[in-house]
Amino acid sequence: MRRLAARLFSLFRRARLEQELEDEIAAHLELAAADHRANGLSDEDARIAALRRFGGVTQTKEAFREVSGFQALEFAWRDLRFACRLLRRQPLFAAAAIVTVALGVGANTAVVSVLETVLLNPLGLRQADRVMAVRTQFVKLHLFHAETSGVEFREMQSLTEVFSAVAAMEGRAWTWLSNDEASRLVGQAVTPDFFRVFGEYPASGRFFTSEDDQLSVVLSDGLWQTRFGADRSAVGRTMWLDKKPYRIVGVAPAGFRFPTDAQLWTPLRLEPRRLLDAERGRNRSLSVFASRKDGVSETQAAERVKRFVDGLMSDDAAHNGEVSHSGYGIELTNFGRYIAGDLRRPLLLLWGVASIVLLTGCANIAGLLLARSSSRRGEIAIRIALGATPAQIVRQLLLESLLIGALGGAVGLVVARLALSLLTTLTISGSGILTLVSLDSRLLLYGLGLALVSGLLFGMAPTIQLVHQSQTVRPDLSRRRWSPGLLVTAEVCGAFVLVVMTTLLLRSLWAITRIVPGFDPQRVTTAFFLKPENDPGFFDRIQSMLVASPGVQSAALANPVPFADSGVISGFAIKNRPENGVSGSAEGFQITPGYFQTLRIPFLRGRNLDASDTATSPLVCLIDSRLAEQFFPGQDPIGQEIAMFKGWARIVGVVGAIRRSSLEGDSRPAVYYSFAQIPFFPWAAVLIRSTGPAESIIRATVHQTNASVPVYDVRSLEERLGATLALRRAMIVLLSTLGAISLLLAIVGLYGVTAQVVSERTREIGIRMALGARPAQILLPVMRQGLGSGVFGLILGLGAVAYAQHWFAGMLYEVAPYDPVTFVVATGGVLGLSLAAVWWPARRAAGIDPQQVLRHE
Amino acid sequence: MGTPKSDLVAGTLALMILKTLETVGSLHGYAIARRIEQISGDQIALNQGTIYPALLRLEQEGWISPTWGESETGRRVKFYAITRAGKKQLHAEQADWKRAAGIVARFVTLSEEKA
Repeated sequence: MRRLAARLFSLFRRARLEQELEDEIAAHLELAAADHRANGLSDEDARIAALRRFGGVTQTKEAFREVSGFQALEFAWRDLRFACRLLRRQPLFAAAAIVTVALGVGANTAVVSVLETVLLNPLGLRQADRVMAVRTQFVKLHLFHAETSGVEFREMQSLTEVFSAVAAMEGRAWTWLSNDEASRLVGQAVTPDFFRVFGEYPASGRFFTSEDDQLSVVLSDGLWQTRFGADRSAVGRTMWLDKKPYRIVGVAPAGFRFPTDAQLWTPLRLEPRRLLDAERGRNRSLSVFASRKDGVSETQAAERVKRFVDGLMSDDAAHNGEVSHSGYGIELTNFGRYIAGDLRRPLLLLWGVASIVLLTGCANIAGLLLARSSSRRGEIAIRIALGATPAQIVRQLLLESLLIGALGGAVGLVVARLALSLLTTLTISGSGILTLVSLDSRLLLYGLGLALVSGLLFGMAPTIQLVHQSQTVRPDLSRRRWSPGLLVTAEVCGAFVLVVMTTLLLRSLWAITRIVPGFDPQRVTTAFFLKPENDPGFFDRIQSMLVASPGVQSAALANPVPFADSGVISGFAIKNRPENGVSGSAEGFQITPGYFQTLRIPFLRGRNLDASDTATSPLVCLIDSRLAEQFFPGQDPIGQEIAMFKGWARIVGVVGAIRRSSLEGDSRPAVYYSFAQIPFFPWAAVLIRSTGPAESIIRATVHQTNASVPVYDVRSLEERLGATLALRRAMIVLLSTLGAISLLLAIVGLYGVTAQVVSERTREIGIRMALGARPAQILLPVMRQGLGSGVFGLILGLGAVAYAQHWFAGMLYEVAPYDPVTFVVATGGVLGLSLAAVWWPARRAAGIDPQQVLRHE
Repeated sequence: MGTPKSDLVAGTLALMILKTLETVGSLHGYAIARRIEQISGDQIALNQGTIYPALLRLEQEGWISPTWGESETGRRVKFYAITRAGKKQLHAEQADWKRAAGIVARFVTLSEEKA
């Protein structure tokens, strides 16, 4: 033990030890020479005698070093330099192998770092693994993941045996006046336990208590840094939001960014009315989160909630079945899944794909190493004959592949960095979370670890085979061989799966881009603004000013606009229907009459909303054709009355149905109300169809109408539409890149294996040709061997697609996962390329000159 | 060349160094080598250089400790002294050696009697 420490230590002071030895030897020789001189020898003779008695100076130093150093490490260093030299001697192989590992590791690390922020460790929150999102569903209304009402919030709070804290939040937006400048802030009103659910503590000040009135505010770290200059004395100050004084009570920690866009939080006081049982169906605007108690599993919590809902149902049967009628249920979702939402599947899919690329890469390098190994057999045999132990040879060979792995890993981390910076610039709707993704030290370690494991993986097969062969006298007779064909099979299998997936996604995208959404998005620009208070004529003024602007064909106000947010989803009742309760659910919109003209939505029957529909006139609404078909089949809906937000509204017209949230998905039935009659929301959007510079027109008009109104989120409708396809486009780009890489790898692998077979059988082929074999007789068996592996890979690939199809079926549109065209194209393509990869080496085999081969013998 | 001198029996150099240092006290490398040769009556053909790796190993084990001093010719040189752990080791090895030597000696006398 003590020697070990001393030796380790001496590694670091090696130069000094050597110098000391030099000194000692010099002194020794001097002393010896002096003695010899005393015995009567001449100076020169005395020196020679001293040297002779000493024995070799060099040998002494060598022996000394052996004792002093840590031999294993020294050997490792020597092996490493040897491996470097070998790689340098084969720059093409080295580059190919390193790039292969780099792509695999880079893609993998990038995807995992996104997964980490989005799913595995959502938003980096302290207690995220304990948090469950509470949402509701109405199966019979085809309504899932719906927000929660105050009633359910109260009920979840009562389940104290499974939840330690339950909190609700509701979206808010404010106009903030500071230094005479109006800006819009977004955030959430939250119940006092909100921060406790996530296990967070304030960075300064405090969070809310139940005593806080509604005029308190907690700042996000971002807002505190950018607008308050990270000044600690901000706590206690007042900020004017919507012209009301809010007191800043605290600042949230830097790591707390939930929701990702929240700039501040205020206390949420639920009116007692919202907590009454009768209000279950109304005001579904709360997002509720519950933190599980210690030792309570997700399943236990879900079971408890289910028992609660079951109890509700049996109670409800007594209350004429309002709840059970709609197929009511409460959904508990793990917070990670809640955050990941639509990104979850694509991310997991990408992870799988990146892993396929890494594995095919490993198989490929293993194949290359195997091919190289035949030329190294001699070298290894000689080294073993010279006394190298198998362990030393294995160490040397594995070190070589580890070196490739490490270099590939280093480059791979750069690839991951680049991939991430590309990924985070993607504008995928609802993916603000992607901006939080970063490569931290743990992920760097993951990437490097992955690279080293890959190195071991692809180094193993060739190493074992080489060592084994070098111990046999006739390696070519040794039958125990790792079949490179197996590796090729795996590669073709992986590549085929990726080709199929990419093709299916491409066909889906193609189908989607041909969809007509039911309105004309061209040249329509939209922007949101916050409604000013005490400015009753604002809407009318702004609309008439916009219409009068040069280049503007038509303008309207609406909330919300298509492809921005969904409208308010709510159940509705139809007058004089036997159900007498909720008949269905629909999305409610508030508009001004110019809406349909601006979006060019066809008007089917009845009349448009107009200036005669005011706050005091009877409530009216328009419905879209989908609602008409679904709920008034074969009837004239005009004149019927439905109740959605605020009492009975008479249907005065029917308009065409449009797609509003995604091109590929049907939208819910829609009900349109006039702003004048349902002025619920503090914000609204403008839409203008214009040929001029729309953004500046909108900003100028709103500013002239009322300078204290902030305008935000200005985008053309086409942009909004494109954003819904961004995820799909990104997936296709990523998948086709990765697919192309793995296809290339597979083809190279196939080529390599066949070429290897040909070079090993050159002699045999020559002899057979000399005996009169026709070229076809040579060509076919060689090709059969390579193609066999390829076809086997294809068959496995078909199986893998069948197994994996449920992973991507949800991302397809109008294309079946077993789409025959795709399969024929993919099979044909992969098969054709395989054929080409085998053809070249096989041709060479057929072109072998028997004379030359025999002369070689 | 005179009578052939016997090679040093493997593993005994360390023992000799330790014994020498125990008897004489602190010595430098050359003195240790000379001393071993003299005690053996110049019967051992010591490659004097081999003493240095051996000294380093003993030092790493903690059985001897070096101090810098000045040689008779005025050069900076390491003087080695035995440590307490070294003495313990020496006594253990001495006992082992005596026992082994005794056994070998008995065999040798036995075969001489037979002959």
